Amino acid sequence: MAGKLRVTVDHAVCVGNGNCLTTAPGTFVHNRDRQSEVANPDGDPAERVVEAAEGCPVSAIRVEDAETGQQLFP
Amino acid sequence: MNRFDLDDMFAPEAIADPYGFYAEIREQDPVHWNERFKLWIISRYDDVVWMVRHPELFSSAVVKNDARPPYPPIDVEDTGKLGFVRDFRAEQLVEKDQPDHVSMRKCVHDFFTPKAMEGWRPFIRAAAAELLDDVADRGHMDVLPDLAAPFPVRIIAQMMGVPNEDRDHLREMADKLLYINRGESYRLKPLTEGMQQMIEYVSPLVEKRIDQPGDDFISVLAGGEKLGVFDRHQVLVNTALLLFAGHETTMNLVCNGTLALVQHPDQWALLKTDPAGMARLATEECLRYDPPVKSTQRIAAEDVELRGKTIRKGDRIRWSIASANRDPEAFADPDRFDITRQPNPHVAFGGGIHHCLGATLARVEGQEVFRALAERFDRFRLEADALEYAPSIQFRSLKSLPVSWA
Repeated sequence: MAGKLRVTVDHAVCVGNGNCLTTAPGTFVHNRDRQSEVANPDGDPAERVVEAAEGCPVSAIRVEDAETGQQLFP
Repeated sequence: MNRFDLDDMFAPEAIADPYGFYAEIREQDPVHWNERFKLWIISRYDDVVWMVRHPELFSSAVVKNDARPPYPPIDVEDTGKLGFVRDFRAEQLVEKDQPDHVSMRKCVHDFFTPKAMEGWRPFIRAAAAELLDDVADRGHMDVLPDLAAPFPVRIIAQMMGVPNEDRDHLREMADKLLYINRGESYRLKPLTEGMQQMIEYVSPLVEKRIDQPGDDFISVLAGGEKLGVFDRHQVLVNTALLLFAGHETTMNLVCNGTLALVQHPDQWALLKTDPAGMARLATEECLRYDPPVKSTQRIAAEDVELRGKTIRKGDRIRWSIASANRDPEAFADPDRFDITRQPNPHVAFGGGIHHCLGATLARVEGQEVFRALAERFDRFRLEADALEYAPSIQFRSLKSLPVSWA
């Protein structure tokens, strides 16, 4: 899978479930509003980040290959 | 002058019109101490969202941490049943705080992801179609017993991996489990009966799946037992949770959503222009406008200041979805039913770590039902002069919804 990732969380959608923080703890943190935020897009293996995006209960996470722009999730 | 007694959540007027009731609380005293039931009501959208995202301040372990007698009072002879009810409920995922909650939830989370639920969509679509086939020639139905009640039970039965012929028994048990948070003083009798039956029914199923796991939900829980995340009792009560949580909530979504569509012919006509395309946003609006769950509970884990009030550690709290979803600070023209509303960040599924595990399932169920109704029927007529709701402070449950069509 890809090298560097571009990871974004849609804060209009994120419900602060925190599942992504459990799946990819090196990548996601909670902000002051307890919504998920990307601390380090390369903080976990790419597979884990995509797994976190797939596991998001409200599909708030988007993952792309930072170099090619290829969409990895959704 | 108030239309409602703000402290009587069980008053017939408040049960009939929770939106009017909560609007008065929200406008006059948004963080309201209810003297009658000795608990706080949280009514504003912002406060509800903040609260559900701070589980360290607001514990979900209400049953475990609240030794006070239940409200409203129960029959004295049922006092002995309370221990059983506590043991049953305290081990359910919804009543767990961190760190137990996260390890338990992780076990079951993947079963309910959006991707996994898309896999269930064909089955859910077929279930809706079959039930509507059965009534199509009749020209009328009661949405509750003919569609809304059997629909989720078929789906849950399939998810639990139990045979079709057990559906009636499942429904019977589910009906008894629904006495949680009802107002009747005798409610612990049917409730404990349902809990006991559930344990007896599920035990052999779990036993079997420990050895021969399948792709059903009980196997997921049994797998959690093998990993040491759940003990046997927890597997049993969380299977019951699936049946309970997925049953009345979906019934209410189907009934309340159908009613809203029947009562708003312009929105119904709009949905009919493109049922497949509009069902997604329409379902979200049904969830906002008349949500299946009106309010639910927490218990303060610390002293908390909120809008000038001090909520003391150990205080009971109810936070109102019915109120938050109609808060004009969060939604423009909140009392208008608009199936194109977007964004629509309603809190019908709560939020934070306890955000409804079955949210995506509920969404797919709603989408498939409302789509099927709009594809099949031109126009519904409401065949009741008055609508009656169950006397619950948690659920917004119609007792009957008779409709006809030409």
